[in-house]
Amino acid sequence: MSNLESIKPFPDSEEMEISFGPQHPATHGVLRVLLRLDGERIVDAKPVIGYLHRGTEKIFERETYNGTIPHTDRLDYTAAATNNQALVGAVEKIMGVTVPPRAAAIRVMLAELQRIASHTIWLGTHALDIGAQSPFFYTFEEREKILDLFEEYCGARLTLNSMRVGGQPYELTDGWVDRCRAFVDQFPARVAEWERLLTANRIWKLRTIGVGVISAASAIEWGLTGPPLRGSGVKWDVRKVFPYDRYDEYDFEIPVGANGDTYDRYLVRLEEMRQSVRILQQCLAKLPDGPVMAKVPKVIKPPKGEVYFSVEGPKGELGFYVVSDGGANPYRLHVRPACFINLQALPEMVRGLLVADLIAVIGTLDIVLGEIDR
Amino acid sequence: MSFWGLLASIVPFELGQGLGVTGRFLFKKKATIQYPEVKPVPKDRFRGMFGFSEERCIACHACAKACPIDIIHIQDHFEEVEVDGKKRKKKVLDRYDIDVKRCMFCGLCEEACPTKPLAIWLTTKSYEASAYERNERLYFTKERLQSWDGVRPYPGVVPPRQGQMPDDPTGGPAAGRGEPK
Amino acid sequence: MTNPWVAFLLVPLVKIVVILLAVILLAAYMSFFERKILAYMQIRIGPNRVGPRGWLQPIADAIKLLVKEDIVPARAEKLVYFLGPVLVVAPALVVFSVIPFGPAFKLFGYEVAPYLTDVNIGILFILGVSSIGVYGVILGGWASNNKFSMMGGLRSAAQLVSYEVPMGLSVVTVLLMANSLSLVKIVEAQKQAGVWFFIPGIVAFFIYFVCGVAETNRNPFDLPEAESELVAGFHTEYSGMKFAFYFLAEYANMVVISSIATVLFLGGWLPPFPNWLAALWASPALAWIPPIAWFVLKMAVFLFVYIWFRGTFPRYRFDQLMDLGWKVFIPVSLVNLVAVGAGVLLIGGK
Repeated sequence: MSNLESIKPFPDSEEMEISFGPQHPATHGVLRVLLRLDGERIVDAKPVIGYLHRGTEKIFERETYNGTIPHTDRLDYTAAATNNQALVGAVEKIMGVTVPPRAAAIRVMLAELQRIASHTIWLGTHALDIGAQSPFFYTFEEREKILDLFEEYCGARLTLNSMRVGGQPYELTDGWVDRCRAFVDQFPARVAEWERLLTANRIWKLRTIGVGVISAASAIEWGLTGPPLRGSGVKWDVRKVFPYDRYDEYDFEIPVGANGDTYDRYLVRLEEMRQSVRILQQCLAKLPDGPVMAKVPKVIKPPKGEVYFSVEGPKGELGFYVVSDGGANPYRLHVRPACFINLQALPEMVRGLLVADLIAVIGTLDIVLGEIDR
Repeated sequence: MSFWGLLASIVPFELGQGLGVTGRFLFKKKATIQYPEVKPVPKDRFRGMFGFSEERCIACHACAKACPIDIIHIQDHFEEVEVDGKKRKKKVLDRYDIDVKRCMFCGLCEEACPTKPLAIWLTTKSYEASAYERNERLYFTKERLQSWDGVRPYPGVVPPRQGQMPDDPTGGPAAGRGEPK
Repeated sequence: MTNPWVAFLLVPLVKIVVILLAVILLAAYMSFFERKILAYMQIRIGPNRVGPRGWLQPIADAIKLLVKEDIVPARAEKLVYFLGPVLVVAPALVVFSVIPFGPAFKLFGYEVAPYLTDVNIGILFILGVSSIGVYGVILGGWASNNKFSMMGGLRSAAQLVSYEVPMGLSVVTVLLMANSLSLVKIVEAQKQAGVWFFIPGIVAFFIYFVCGVAETNRNPFDLPEAESELVAGFHTEYSGMKFAFYFLAEYANMVVISSIATVLFLGGWLPPFPNWLAALWASPALAWIPPIAWFVLKMAVFLFVYIWFRGTFPRYRFDQLMDLGWKVFIPVSLVNLVAVGAGVLLIGGK
């Protein structure tokens, strides 16, 4: 902790160092933050992680490629579909397989529904940390509807295992499209309700405007992706820059904030939910027919090589780096976890703030320890 | 600043709007399901407790190989049987155990099973298999997988031994592979 | 009344017992109503298993807290640790001795007043006694031998003390309109004026209520005891019945603020427009409504608004909270005081 000693803004002050977490209702998992406080001002914050490490990347090395997919569900456990999408996309890239258009459309629908589901968790818990109890329940009610759609499609609500190398394991059930459309049509009204509770609320604005500011240059230096990057004004979204699963066929905007504070990231994520609705409506309108699985061998043995493939998950850019030695098990499968890299910016964002703001900033980074620790 | 702007900065009108949202929810229908009197209804593809049928299983070990965490333990041996006057070797299951406490209910075993109808399936809609002692009660042997001793079936569902089929867990007359729809 | 033993001993004793029981039961059931109403606002049903539709939940909670192990920290200052909850609950209950629930009426030929006593410095008494509750918070936080509890206690105390000033100033505007410190006379003044005091004193009414929310450490001013904070505040180290006392005191304080707001601003036991619609209220269809029912109804409205606030608003950060108290509420209530004083001078002429 040598870099902490060098920071002493008030030379005569009595600073104290306390440990925030790992058991704490507001750290969203088992995150420990070593805080150096001067009174109530944060002089430095050092996140300590590893409490949820399960050796996932090592486990990957002994699984078959399709067997790694259930393990990816448990990385960012609030957004399983995008994790699946990243992994199967990486293996398909190394094998040179293109999934059929219908499978790509189903993947996009699952991913966008998952984005909405993940952002609802974020909104509920972030509002709860800042003190508003009710949005938690309203957002989780909407999430229930999405989880029902997932359950109908692949049989599970949270750990979906909903994609395979080469396409989709299941065809859509009868009426899934109608139920999805019904959900999507009523969803923007719900978002408007939540906005009525929070966006113009003067208490909310006092708690979030100017809190946890990170400049665009800093954000790029730290390697932030997702809403923390876009909230600072950088228009970067993997779906637009390196399109996958035919995202270039859909018409959507990338919301961008201006100041890089918590309020901007809040607005960016709300707008992302609306853009997801837009993508979903387009998908539902022009769902192509055809098979849902490409022709892939029963035992997946990608050729020797290494590849990196990433998707725009709800938390940021989630990537997989696959090293294959030609066998049925990956030689090395490394995860580029969006939350881990976003969390690195925490000390810079909270320096000089009060302890109550630390909680707001942890909430706005939207971290999931499953992805950070693996 | 206009008069209304000045007034709005002192009098918190937007807080009143927020109160209106919460107040309206006071009168909306509640989402609580009164478990255990009312149980949430799983969908058809819901991956629940295992169903297993010894008669249909051909002991090909595909499920054991597909399982990402190796919790399916199979042992079998060959037996000589007379079929149409010819001596045939038939595989007989000695042991088909699933360590359910480690299972992640991913469904890869069900996907790997080649028989029609399936010998191992998860579409049983039953999820109540909790136990007070996990090492014995959550380790399901061949017999328990079919008798469902210790598993509470979802209302209307019968255990495999009583005729549960993969695509009709109620045990009614069903045909087909149990193809995931 | 003829018999002095009845008049000065029996009747007050009965009143004390009734008021104490009613207040403690109401405070306990406030926890139940809060859980139910919050739940209904949050698309769920609250407790509904204990007793018919959950109505025995507070009894179950009380029994649980009574039989819980009473953990005292090893190096806590024992006497002060014990006194902390007492100093918070006692003032909250004592305040009810001067709050008038209704006008005097005849019972078995005796003139009975449904309040324990009517001191002619009623409001002053209430403000003074309820301030003693701050001691309970500070001492409780200090005696726990936990530096975070003490910090939480000091913060809570700072909040309580700061918000008493605008609250007091709003009360003074009512005094200007009523010309008396006695609570019964304030209600009667509203009957004479024919209008509840919240109409001429609307600013004072809002300030009083919002400061009351801050005084009771309720959302949106509940940072000192929020779960998502560094510590749980001054009552971290308390368990069992002592913890229950802190929460009982919080709910009792809510009832106190609601009752005082009812008496000062909403006309106490008076029906709406007591003079204009006097004939309506005296008509046989409505004459059976006891005045105490009006009082309870108005108090219930305030208690509902408390819960409504909790379900809706995020919470202020502590420095923002203090900013609001000192830089917004005090100036506004001072200006309001001058304005109401000028108004009374122009209209009343005394």
